[in-house]
Amino acid sequence: MSENKEPGMAYSMPKMHKIMAILSFIFFITTMWVFLDDYIRPWKAIQVEALQIKRRHTEELVKAAAKEIDAKKLAELQSQLKKGEEIVVGRKQGIDKANDQLKEVLKKIKAQNIQNGILNADVAAVNFQYESAAASHDHKLSEKKLQELTRLKNQFVTGKDNLKAYQAEEKEVHAKLDELNKEVLETEKQIKDITMKLNLLEMAKKQTDINPIFALRNMPFLDYLDPTIKVRQIVINNVTDDRYFRQVPKVDRCITCHTFIDQPGYEKEKNPFKTHPKLDLMVSLDSPHPMKQTGCTSCHGGEGHRVNDFNSAAHVPNDEKQEKEWIAKYDWKEPHHISSPMLKLSQTEAGCVKCHSGVELIKGATVLNEGRMAIEKYGCYACHKIQGWGEDKRKPGPSLLKIASKVDKEWFKSWVWEPRSFNKHSKMPAFFRQSNNSEPHFVRLNMAEVNAMAEYIWDKSKPYAPSDKFQAGNAENGKKIISEVGCLGCHGVDGLEDQSNKIKGYAGPWLTGLGSKVSPDWLVTWLKKPNHYQEDTIMPSLRLTDKEANDIATYLLSLRNKSFEGLKFAPFDLKARDELLVDYLSAFDTNASAAAKVAKMADREKTLDLGKRTVGKYGCYSCHNIEGFDGYPPIGPELTKEGSKPITQFGFGIQHDVPHSRDGWLTAHLQNPRRWDIGIDKVFRDIQKMPNFYMNEVEAKKITVALLGQTADIVPLSGVKRYSAGEDLYNKAMKVAGKYNCMGCHQIDGLRGDILRGYADDINQGPPRLVGEGHRIQTDWFYSFLANPGQIRPWLNVRMPTFNLSTEERNILIAGFQQGAKQPTFEEPAQYVQWAPGEKEGAQALWKSYNCVSCHSMGFTKDTPLAPDLHKASVRLRPSWIKKWLTNPQAILPGTTMPAFFGDDGKQPIDPSVFGGDADKQITALTKLVIEFGLKK
Amino acid sequence: MLRELINRISDPILSFPLATIAFYLMLKHYKTVGTKKFAYWSLAILTPVTIWFLSDPNFFSIIKTPDNIPIIILLVLVGFLTWFTIYRMAENDTRIEAGLGPLEATPENREKVWSWPNLVYSELFAIIGCTAFLIVWAIIFKAPLEEPANPTWAPNPAKAPWYFLGLQEMLVYFDPWMAGVVLPGLIVAGLIAVPYIDTNPKGNGYFTFKERALAITAFLYGWLVLWVYLIIVGVFLRGPNWTFYGPFEFWDLHKVVASFNVNLSEIIWIKMLNVGLPKNLILREIFGIVLFLAYITLIPGWAAKATKYGRKLIQDMGSIRYYIFMFLFLMMMTLPIKMILRWLFSLKYIVALPEWELNL
Repeated sequence: MSENKEPGMAYSMPKMHKIMAILSFIFFITTMWVFLDDYIRPWKAIQVEALQIKRRHTEELVKAAAKEIDAKKLAELQSQLKKGEEIVVGRKQGIDKANDQLKEVLKKIKAQNIQNGILNADVAAVNFQYESAAASHDHKLSEKKLQELTRLKNQFVTGKDNLKAYQAEEKEVHAKLDELNKEVLETEKQIKDITMKLNLLEMAKKQTDINPIFALRNMPFLDYLDPTIKVRQIVINNVTDDRYFRQVPKVDRCITCHTFIDQPGYEKEKNPFKTHPKLDLMVSLDSPHPMKQTGCTSCHGGEGHRVNDFNSAAHVPNDEKQEKEWIAKYDWKEPHHISSPMLKLSQTEAGCVKCHSGVELIKGATVLNEGRMAIEKYGCYACHKIQGWGEDKRKPGPSLLKIASKVDKEWFKSWVWEPRSFNKHSKMPAFFRQSNNSEPHFVRLNMAEVNAMAEYIWDKSKPYAPSDKFQAGNAENGKKIISEVGCLGCHGVDGLEDQSNKIKGYAGPWLTGLGSKVSPDWLVTWLKKPNHYQEDTIMPSLRLTDKEANDIATYLLSLRNKSFEGLKFAPFDLKARDELLVDYLSAFDTNASAAAKVAKMADREKTLDLGKRTVGKYGCYSCHNIEGFDGYPPIGPELTKEGSKPITQFGFGIQHDVPHSRDGWLTAHLQNPRRWDIGIDKVFRDIQKMPNFYMNEVEAKKITVALLGQTADIVPLSGVKRYSAGEDLYNKAMKVAGKYNCMGCHQIDGLRGDILRGYADDINQGPPRLVGEGHRIQTDWFYSFLANPGQIRPWLNVRMPTFNLSTEERNILIAGFQQGAKQPTFEEPAQYVQWAPGEKEGAQALWKSYNCVSCHSMGFTKDTPLAPDLHKASVRLRPSWIKKWLTNPQAILPGTTMPAFFGDDGKQPIDPSVFGGDADKQITALTKLVIEFGLKK
Repeated sequence: MLRELINRISDPILSFPLATIAFYLMLKHYKTVGTKKFAYWSLAILTPVTIWFLSDPNFFSIIKTPDNIPIIILLVLVGFLTWFTIYRMAENDTRIEAGLGPLEATPENREKVWSWPNLVYSELFAIIGCTAFLIVWAIIFKAPLEEPANPTWAPNPAKAPWYFLGLQEMLVYFDPWMAGVVLPGLIVAGLIAVPYIDTNPKGNGYFTFKERALAITAFLYGWLVLWVYLIIVGVFLRGPNWTFYGPFEFWDLHKVVASFNVNLSEIIWIKMLNVGLPKNLILREIFGIVLFLAYITLIPGWAAKATKYGRKLIQDMGSIRYYIFMFLFLMMMTLPIKMILRWLFSLKYIVALPEWELNL
């Protein structure tokens, strides 16, 4: 205690004041700190930097604009201006007088305006008084008020009239002034025309000045008024965020830092100042996804409303390199608290799915489409329901209903045991010999399972006898036919590896070792009539002759897998069978009672029972038609909302090297689905059953993107891409086209056309590309063509096969194509051919002068045709399409052999002497002529 | 090795008895504890030990979370203030034994001073100082906000605010209704009742232990061992799934600790008597009910009659105060008793009436 204290005091007062002063100072500092801490935000620094970048860009533009100006002309104009000014100075007296006059008249107008305003108000008020007096039958008062009202109204009319007079006077004075200033004003206008762009740019530049006003507007405390540095946001009602219990409109503040995302010209800046790389498709005002309507996180994911710092938006690096960079630069941390962090850049296309549902392939979404095609290839959708895209698809595996007459039982067992040892390209995944079931005691049980399945399937298999007999043919010729006729659109074939690997056909199996697999008679019959063996197969008939079929069969049978031949599968371990059955039955029973039940069963009964249970356990029925499994749900879990599944629900086992994220798990899982069992003690019935497709990382990553898109996000109807009835039909048609793999051969509106990769030298030797096909072809023709394709292009080796289409499917294809091209159902050719006088002669002259028959020779000369028969054109083609085609065929099919006679714009006449050189008339006449060829028939 | 040992010892099964023993030793040898020498030695030992603790990445990651800073402050303050109290008590008790009277009663300490400015001005200092401290704290350590609350996806571990973690730890041993409503209610009621129960005039205005041994022991046991210690356990030693993790142990989400608990009624009827559980609920739980009632009623009566200390107590306090005090004290002691029963017999509930939402 202090010594110099006063009585009644415990402490010395001056000392206490000192403490108070120090504490107050600390308190003041901390209070300032609060405001400063609140004021300093990372995004503000970014906006200041953006301002400087904008200034730099504007300066460059200013320079460019300054260069554009013709300096000589400007100087000329300026000297002219000077001269004009001199002239005008001479008229000073007149100008001054006019200005005085103008001032006077403006004063009068103002005064009159005031007077009129007062009168107007008086009229309204007295009018009310008069009307209410009249309504209450106070005649005396109403009489008086009426008089007053009439007087006021008259005054008002006079006032308005005066105003008009003054205004006319003002106009006159202005005209007079303009006349007096004529020389100056005109020159000024000319100068302005030249320098306008520069002036505007300089004004824009001025807005990037950092001056006292800028400082004042953005000062702490004052910056609530009208700051220039501020959080910028887009509120989107079309897409909502799930805030639990409530969907709220999405608020994206990304543009606070990504300042120039919608402005072209900033492509070369570093992030976040870059322009969006796909401005034609995204973000910009005239793109299909304008920023103000679509937002940012609708596609990219992440926390669009959070701008605290780099991490709060849940940015996710694309790869490890970027991750390291971000950690160094932004102290980046994995956003594990966020249920849907941003999609990696390479996975952004997953964001398309939530709005574009119900469609096979999305134009422009390359990775996503490839992922979906990989899903299609491996048939993931058969075991895992994927709503909105993967439903109603065919079973990806062949039917096993008549399998006993197709392959040998021993072959079947060895195949199931390890498909890749027979066919290294097999799409059939491996269930056995995996990382979690290769221990001897599991192998023993697995082998018993395979034996039991074979017994069950053979037991249920229906008898079948091939209709054709194999006759040995020419294998070399067979190989040639395979490579030419179109088989490679769906199949890869041994011996044609180069072509197969280029085309990558995947709808059918890779053909190898057939000599060791199927009987010759079966193969010939299958080639000739695929639906003889399996009614619902998508394998079409190529209308092969007996010789062709036998040649192909001879080649395919020459492909043998010697090591597989004569392979005997392990004998049926009956003890293992019984053990497995007991295990099944003991699920709801004691072991002893289950064993007793099994012991009571007959031998065959046990085998078949285990066979059926095993088929059910592995879900074979999901991909293959097997009797006894009607109405069974697919074996795998539904993947419709996989992209929103909480990360905590993914079982990572003890695989610590797998990135702990949704996409990390999916990619790892696709490459080896059994990996999660590694190092985990499980009994036989509990081990993971998802088979191994031996996918490579590239494919797995693509499928991951497709699956990440399957989110549970609720998008309001106004935000979803809604298809018109026509677009819906088109999507349905594409689904049918997908089922039969039409796009294995035909490129439809720019998508796929796998086999064309084999015709890189001359695309015209491949199957025709279908662009707006609904506009090209006639409905009736298409209907019959699908059922029974006839030859159109005799020079092609590749054949349009006869598909096993139902009437409904054919109609869907027709209607879909038509709607895709926005065409009516019918277009009548006969009505089109109404010749004007002299028109037909003109057309015939053009026909001759351009020697159309040199290619379209069929029916005209005996030359080898190089283009379709025009006699069939009226049946097959729509007149309006022929016209469009003639106008510019290259615009429809780039690289077609049909020349663009009328130039790139379709406006250059081919013969100036015909129809006065009117290209449009010439095209119309030729179209009529072509149609008439068919009509004559 | 040493870390492994500390991990083991930290398990409440060991650390709770150790804490109780330490508490007992602290009060028994309070004159040794209450010396500056003891304080310096403790500081000299604790400083390197703390540094060694902090050097462990797992321990450091728990300590550094912004939510846990108040608890560290609490630990330091509680440690210092407890020692300071004991120091003053030891000092006074030595003086009283020597017949000098407490330090606070010396003439220079009895002098009266003005409350303004001496008291009010100092209070203002405290207000300003605390506010400044809180502001700086709030700026430097941001609020540890997590993701937007998702009703279908609770964080793991789901922890209450730090000051409620003692209550949350009680949930391990009690029914939520007991741990969440009855016992906290009794704590509040008991604290309100303290001035009415404790009529001992000794110790007014000065520190002493000897003259108020029962009051200080009972209160400090409840505060230090049953409240602060449980907060420490809840904060530092409970990880995902509320499983126990040693201070140096990694919080592995998948750690599983075997625990299967049985009710008293099941132990007696099935294990001991080897008959089925009676249908009648009261009959089924009769042993627990009787045991609990006996605990609450017989012990105070017996103590008042049979023990010397009890007789003195009831004489000093009067019977109503005595029985209220005993009730509150016994209710407080249900917590350590229940803990020990859980560890020794895997006892779930003494009275298990989930049908009536009544479990003890």
